[in-house]
Amino acid sequence: MQDEFKDTLWQIFKGVAPVAILVLILQFTILGMPLDIVGRFLLGAVLVTAGLSLFLIGLKMSIIPMGEAIGSELPQIGNIAIILFWAFFLGFTATLAEPPVRVLATYVEIASAGELGGDTLVGITALGIGIFIALSILRIVLQVPIAYIFAGGYTLILVLSFFTSPEFVPISFDASGSTTGPVTVPVILSLGVGVTSVLGGKSSVKEGFGLVGIASMGPIIALMLMGVIAT
Amino acid sequence: MNAVADFFSTFATILWESLQTLLPIIVFFILFQLLYLKLPRRFLAKVFSGLVISFLGLALFLFGVEYGFEPAGTYMGNVLGKLSYSWVIIPIGFLLGFMVTLVEPAVRVLSYEVDKTSSGHIPEKIVLYFMAFAVALALALGMARIIYGFPIEYLIVPGYVIILLLLKFTSGDFTSIAFDAGGVATGPMVTTFVVAIALGAAEVIQGRDPILDGFGIIAMVAMVPILVIMILGVFYERGEDAN
Repeated sequence: MQDEFKDTLWQIFKGVAPVAILVLILQFTILGMPLDIVGRFLLGAVLVTAGLSLFLIGLKMSIIPMGEAIGSELPQIGNIAIILFWAFFLGFTATLAEPPVRVLATYVEIASAGELGGDTLVGITALGIGIFIALSILRIVLQVPIAYIFAGGYTLILVLSFFTSPEFVPISFDASGSTTGPVTVPVILSLGVGVTSVLGGKSSVKEGFGLVGIASMGPIIALMLMGVIAT
Repeated sequence: MNAVADFFSTFATILWESLQTLLPIIVFFILFQLLYLKLPRRFLAKVFSGLVISFLGLALFLFGVEYGFEPAGTYMGNVLGKLSYSWVIIPIGFLLGFMVTLVEPAVRVLSYEVDKTSSGHIPEKIVLYFMAFAVALALALGMARIIYGFPIEYLIVPGYVIILLLLKFTSGDFTSIAFDAGGVATGPMVTTFVVAIALGAAEVIQGRDPILDGFGIIAMVAMVPILVIMILGVFYERGEDAN
């Protein structure tokens, strides 16, 4: 447990430290920001490192084993409609708990001066992930080639990008990128492994690949549709 | 005094926000446990303590972002955007992307997967450096878009059209890994700090809209790695056919 914490802390530190060093170098060469801003940045770097490490350690004890248990239990239910419902629900709630999604929502709220609500953004993003996780399980069951799904999904996205209101284009792609974080990815993967081992027939571990890719199309499509409706 | 009050009121809000964030998945677990799982008490006790640790960690993380990274990143973007040589933000983005990706644990896992799928023909190290280059390029493109102010569609549309065309030339395994690569590369430093810099720059550059131009950085980081891994896959499979 203690070793695990040290390992995680070290991994996060390795990601944050180079950025902090670069910022300090820039501070002395071109930035010259006021000291309290630099202080906030350094405090932020320490808090983000400690916070993310604790968060990941906690995940390994809670959401990840729980996700695995659910992944192996879910296919036993037998009824495909019920399986899809629970998969949707799991994807939806996991996205709500995803820290980068929260952060993006805060930024959107600040940048739009409150015009675009953070909670709406998080909700729609989570809806997109939930629906597409269910779809990707359906794909495994029906054994549709994965390339068809990507081709269809991204063609739809490209078409939608011309019809949706322009400010939704960058935000919807950003939301999709931010959903694939420390909570959603392990949950999706354990769900995928569990479902493929029981329902996939060929029981190939490789079927688990691509699930994250399919799921991340969900928020783009959902938010772009919202942009189409909003205009 | 004001700063102290600010500090604590922000922290209180964030504690509440973190709890709201985790509650839905906790409710889900409880429902699933009652209906199907019926896991033993000892397992649940561990899950519960894990959730408490995650909650504290999440609160610290979000607080660090809102109290530290958001103001500092925005300020940095403001300063860089106002420089006569504001293009310098492009190489800064490149450097940030390269450094952060080299040490990202999820990217290492992906590199290992590619190595295995290509049965060692595409070594881990190569994938790692290609991924770092991909994210660096993505951030440089994202920053260039803010400086020169062209719409994101100019990058997204050709990018995904090429990806769709490449689908025809790569096998299923590489396709799956490539699309996962897009998700893997968007680590916490990009989604928190780099986005704040971009927003700060979009605020001060004339004619830029924070919503239209400030966002789109993560979008680039999600797209470019898909392209890069697919191209790697095409070359690998070409070599395979030649044998």
